[in-house]
Amino acid sequence: MIARDPRPARRYATLVLAGGAALLAIGALVLLGDYASSVADFGRRHVLILAVNAVAAVVLLAVILVNLFRLVRDYRRRVPGARLRARLVALFVGLTLVPLFVVYFFALQFVSGGIDSWFDSDLEQELSAALRLSRESLEVQATSRLSQTSALAAAIGNLDGEALSRALGVLRADANADELTVFAAGERVVASSSRLDALPPTLAEDALEELQRTQRFVALEPQGGARYQVRTAVQIPVELPAGAEAPRYLQAVFPVGYRQGRLADAVQDTYTRYAELRFLRGPLKDNLVATLSLVLLLSLLSAAAGAFYLARRLASPIESLAAGTEAVAKGDFDTRLPPGAADEVGFLIDSFNGMIERLARAREESRTSQQQLERERASLAAILGRLSTGVIATSADGRVRIANDAAGQILGVDFAARAGATLHEIASTGPLAREFIEACRSHLEGVHPDWRGQVELRTGKSRRILNCASSTLPGDPGDDTAAAGRTGGAIVVFDDVTELLVAQREAAWGEVARRLAHEIKNPLTPIRLAAERIRRRYLPALDADDGQVLDRSTHTIVQQVEAMRDMVNAFSEYARSPAVSIAPVDLGQLVREVAWLYRAQDGQPAVTLDVEDGLKVEADAVRVRQLLHNLIRNAQEALEGMPDGAVNVGARRVPGGEREFVEITVEDNGPGIGAEVLTSLFEPYVTSKKKGTGLGLAIVKKLVEEHGGTVAADNLPGKGARLTVTLPVQATVRDPLGETRPARAEPWRERA
Amino acid sequence: MQQHQNRHRLPRVALAVLLALSLAGPARGQEAGIEIRSASTRLEEGVWYLAARIDYRLNRDTLEALQNGIPLTFDLRVELSRQRSWLPDEDVAELRQDFELSWQPLSRSYLVRNKNSGDQRAHTTLFAALNYLGVITALPLIDAALVEEGEEYEVRLRAALDQQELPGPLRMLAFWGDDFTLESDWFRWNLRTGEQR
Repeated sequence: MIARDPRPARRYATLVLAGGAALLAIGALVLLGDYASSVADFGRRHVLILAVNAVAAVVLLAVILVNLFRLVRDYRRRVPGARLRARLVALFVGLTLVPLFVVYFFALQFVSGGIDSWFDSDLEQELSAALRLSRESLEVQATSRLSQTSALAAAIGNLDGEALSRALGVLRADANADELTVFAAGERVVASSSRLDALPPTLAEDALEELQRTQRFVALEPQGGARYQVRTAVQIPVELPAGAEAPRYLQAVFPVGYRQGRLADAVQDTYTRYAELRFLRGPLKDNLVATLSLVLLLSLLSAAAGAFYLARRLASPIESLAAGTEAVAKGDFDTRLPPGAADEVGFLIDSFNGMIERLARAREESRTSQQQLERERASLAAILGRLSTGVIATSADGRVRIANDAAGQILGVDFAARAGATLHEIASTGPLAREFIEACRSHLEGVHPDWRGQVELRTGKSRRILNCASSTLPGDPGDDTAAAGRTGGAIVVFDDVTELLVAQREAAWGEVARRLAHEIKNPLTPIRLAAERIRRRYLPALDADDGQVLDRSTHTIVQQVEAMRDMVNAFSEYARSPAVSIAPVDLGQLVREVAWLYRAQDGQPAVTLDVEDGLKVEADAVRVRQLLHNLIRNAQEALEGMPDGAVNVGARRVPGGEREFVEITVEDNGPGIGAEVLTSLFEPYVTSKKKGTGLGLAIVKKLVEEHGGTVAADNLPGKGARLTVTLPVQATVRDPLGETRPARAEPWRERA
Repeated sequence: MQQHQNRHRLPRVALAVLLALSLAGPARGQEAGIEIRSASTRLEEGVWYLAARIDYRLNRDTLEALQNGIPLTFDLRVELSRQRSWLPDEDVAELRQDFELSWQPLSRSYLVRNKNSGDQRAHTTLFAALNYLGVITALPLIDAALVEEGEEYEVRLRAALDQQELPGPLRMLAFWGDDFTLESDWFRWNLRTGEQR
């Protein structure tokens, strides 16, 4: 993911608007510069500039307000970078504000002082004096022209008609006048002579009025182009008869000398311009102040808008850096910042992107190796779980780190529920565990680097023999235990070899029995035959006494040979191992049949039955029958000599976890089993009875184990003993290593 | 079209035909401003001429400006349009005359100059100058050949102080205030009948 600025158009809009408005402000400044040189020119553009600047100001203000609103909103929402932007805006505006105001106030002072300094009261008085002098000089000329006109009027007198016209022409030329006109009341021209070929102009109303009132009129008239003329008019002094027409007037126009006129005009121009400037001083100052203020306003607004733009421009990469850092802190390593400008911030962004890339790669590698580790751990756990060998690994602080299922089964401890427990806590869970930990404590604590040995655990009625090996574990390189020279705990591996040892012993006994049978049975028949021959041949020849001795001796020999044969047969039975033939067997029926045989015999203890109906098992019927014989016989033998002896045979179904089992119990009310033989009751030649070969229960155990079952003996609470055989409903057979497997899959044969 | 103004060609009696409708009320003379008292047109030798009587009354600010050497330009605008029933009126002719009134401190006179023709006349009093300015006797408006028979034509006349001709600083004052605003209402009448609208 690459973060992008979502508002490029808006950013440029701000820039364009602010830039345009700033250009307008510069235009106003240029205009201000022109002001001094060309007053009139300014006026023409004034309104337009004013309007455009007003629009610019409004636009800038709008830009600023929108930006300010956004900034305040972001600030309140604590958007990353908003505080920085606010600070930058305040800084920029502050930096602009102070010099702007300083310049503004100084400019105002200069404008006001400068314009006032143009005007000087002395100059004004001098100009007035110059104007007065010019005027008086011209008035002297005008007065003289008026006198001249009066003289001309007197000369005209009563002339009329053609004579008047001629006279006017002559007089005009003599007087050096531009024009001479005689007119009557009502502005009726009587006669006229003009140097210019134009109609004689009439007198203005006010001039006529003055003339009629005072009979004379004189005025200095500007002609334009620095030319002046003196216009005079007088009443022609004539005696008028009553009823005659109204008096006549002579109007004369004299030119003013060009040089004099030009000088006077220059004075008037200067005076007028000075008066105009003086009059315009106030409005001019107002204009300048207004323009300056406008420039100030536009500059301020431009600066503020520019401040927002610059602040955003400066803060933008920092904001994206902050956002990127936050994303990385949340674990998003896919964030990539847009590349920045070729400056320090751009370098920072490039470094950030590089760092994120490396972090992402490192995390990916770590994830891969962790997954690999998990896989290794899972396969190790699977291997450990499958092992029949118990494995216990401890940490340096004496806690159990790893313990597989086999360890739990052997020691009778649920390690899964005691993960991380100390050795002491494990020891308190049961006698086997306590014995084991006591025996192996130093090895579990890693005191000895390597050890191999056999440990015998004795708890009450059972005995376990474990083959153990231990080794210390290397310390964690990151752990300080390694630095302190200590190990990282130990691992103890142990196998329960109790049954293996028993099997070995049984195998040895089997071999002994087979040899004994072979070696002893062979001479028994010749011994018996020899004894019987001796008896047959020599008994009739002997007297009664010797015959009796012989008879008794040979009888004893034959009897003992028979007893020995029985014993050898029993041995051979123990060693003999026909093929196991597994088939469905009605166990209840079988028990009843066997028990019935014993119940029928006289003088024997009574056999009672407690058999569940419908007990079907997969087993070898011949072996189970022998097993029952041996058990009942063993019970009866235990009760020999006891008149009230009783044997109870029971058979029932018992739950056994995943698999179903049937249990066969044979109880007697005899003396019970001595504690000294209880642990080795099922070994050959272990018996507490006077009679028997000592192989009965050993054969039982062998038969049971051939079916994958178990046999156990205990004493009843009151009196007597109980032997319990547990057989699986679905037959399994057991190989010499103690592993069980389905009987049908591969028929198992007892070793020869 | 000739825009020359000639005061001498026509006799004073021509003024008799001037409409004096706006003269009916008592003079509102003391109030500053420009008022068209009367205006009319007449046909003479194939040319329509305009005659009008206008009152120019300066206010304190314009008077002060004038006496401080600032010339005042008065703009006389005449418009002729053909009246149409269903369509907007058609502009036929437009005439503009500019008069400049200035104070001459040397001769202590008020000079009125027609900026179109260049004619000028000095007056010793302001009253005379304004009066001279306000009397228009024969301003050629349009050749009669350009006026169609049977069509209605409206003439509009307006006089005003031209603020564009004021110096810059005063133009700003004029823009922001009424001190330099002197103008008459439009005065309208029918070209042929002379009936005021």
